[in-house]
Amino acid sequence: MFRHTNIIMFTEPYMQRALLAALLLGPLCALLGVFVTARRMSFFSDTIAHAALAGIALGLWMGLFDPTIPMVLVSLLVAAAILWLKEKTELLSDTIMALLLSGSVAVGIIILSLLKGSRGQIHSYLFGDILAITPQDVWMAGGLFFIIGAGIFAGLSSLTLLTAHEEMAHVCGVRVRPLNYLFVLVLTVTVALSIRLLGIILVTSLLVIPPAAAWCVSRNLRQQILFSLLIGLSGSVGGVILSYQLDVPCGPTIVLSCIALFFLALFIRVWRPERQLAPASP
Amino acid sequence: MHPDLGQHSGPAVIEVRGLHVSFDGHEALRGVDLRVPAGHLVALIGPNGSGKTTLLRCLLGLQKSDAGKIRLFGQSDLRRALPRVGYVPQRLVLDRSFVMSVREFLALRRRETQNWFWRRHADTDRFLHSAMAEIGVEKLLDRPLAQLSGGQLQRVLIAFSLLKEPELLLLDEPTAGVDSPGEQTFYELIAEVQKRHRLTVVLVSHDLSMVYRHASWVYALNGVICCEGPPEAVMNAESLRQAYGLHVSPYQHHHVH
Repeated sequence: MFRHTNIIMFTEPYMQRALLAALLLGPLCALLGVFVTARRMSFFSDTIAHAALAGIALGLWMGLFDPTIPMVLVSLLVAAAILWLKEKTELLSDTIMALLLSGSVAVGIIILSLLKGSRGQIHSYLFGDILAITPQDVWMAGGLFFIIGAGIFAGLSSLTLLTAHEEMAHVCGVRVRPLNYLFVLVLTVTVALSIRLLGIILVTSLLVIPPAAAWCVSRNLRQQILFSLLIGLSGSVGGVILSYQLDVPCGPTIVLSCIALFFLALFIRVWRPERQLAPASP
Repeated sequence: MHPDLGQHSGPAVIEVRGLHVSFDGHEALRGVDLRVPAGHLVALIGPNGSGKTTLLRCLLGLQKSDAGKIRLFGQSDLRRALPRVGYVPQRLVLDRSFVMSVREFLALRRRETQNWFWRRHADTDRFLHSAMAEIGVEKLLDRPLAQLSGGQLQRVLIAFSLLKEPELLLLDEPTAGVDSPGEQTFYELIAEVQKRHRLTVVLVSHDLSMVYRHASWVYALNGVICCEGPPEAVMNAESLRQAYGLHVSPYQHHHVH
């Protein structure tokens, strides 16, 4: 069943890159995810992930070998469009996002249909492909990890206040609008860069499942953040290792590893004595 | 002019002149003038849609005005006055899955999260415990914020807003989510806190009997300030009719909706 011994796996350059990317992006997404889920932004992140398809198609159409830059730019553009429409109209944000999600996927598919011979590449963007992770991707993930990690650590009070109540945050001296935009910017860049690992369709799972699993076993936000980091790390790194061992696609294996951890956590929540956890009802 | 307050005596904590605010094609405030001297418990009453919450939001810099001037502590840059202000919103709607504990929430006011994601610290623990004990809710410290009852949550919000020793406390219908026996003790608590901390309090309220009992000055608002004065002067049938536009007797109706 297993292809190689464990040691050989770590000597293959593409596996080293994949493991490094998982090591950096797993905890980063899990940490961001705590706030994404609390702010009900998982559909938002799904929308900007799908918008990346239009960016990738645009990049391939322009003849770029690595469409990362147009991918990030189009995702940012769609994120800005969501914010703008939310501010300027009274449309429900759900409606706005569904419109932009399907719109950008449609644009992406039409551009791709005009191109020949890019089907394989598109498959790798839709479902993730660890073979496609370049050294440049790993460096970008590393930079992102340290910048965003330090940013969240330093701005945790402001971000948490913003998550709890925007007006209270304002009164406490938080600059609400700039921080909201910054959060969207950080989320968009992180999602776009995680697409290599998990694919457009599955990328949101890394933002949603680790915080949900952590919630099952947490009594407070500190515990949720720390457990989420741990679950994101073990789910993504474990997923990469398992996918190599079982010779199955990497993105889905990461997702299923995270889901397995979620059910384990849910089991613990259900079976642990009630008094040790936050009461389910007041 | 009422001798107790002497409307122009003492330094003004809040000064509002000719405030006009409109949104959605509706003029919510049409030239409001207001002056709140230090150390008073001021109530802002008026029917629904009279602009009470809008006025409060303007004071906090949450709502832009079309015309007029606002000064807090003599400062027209409201953001610079905010560190001296505490605010208790109408109600905090939190997702029940949000696991932040009361202790973590209170630590946010002092920006103590940098201490490795809310790692417990003996000094902070002591400080938060005494702050919560003052409001009588120290037992709630480790409960998730999202699972408190309306009354408990409002008390936690008061404790939160007092942590930075504000000079001005603004409360927007603080008892909206509280049952009626809880309401009375809540107003007593606010009156008590106001005296102990020598606060200036501005309270938006629907509850006329509570206002009558605890406020030292009342503003009746309906787009403009209809009348003002000590409760016994303002809260008579005639001035309430002016503000509410219908016949209201303060002794028969506890709530005016």
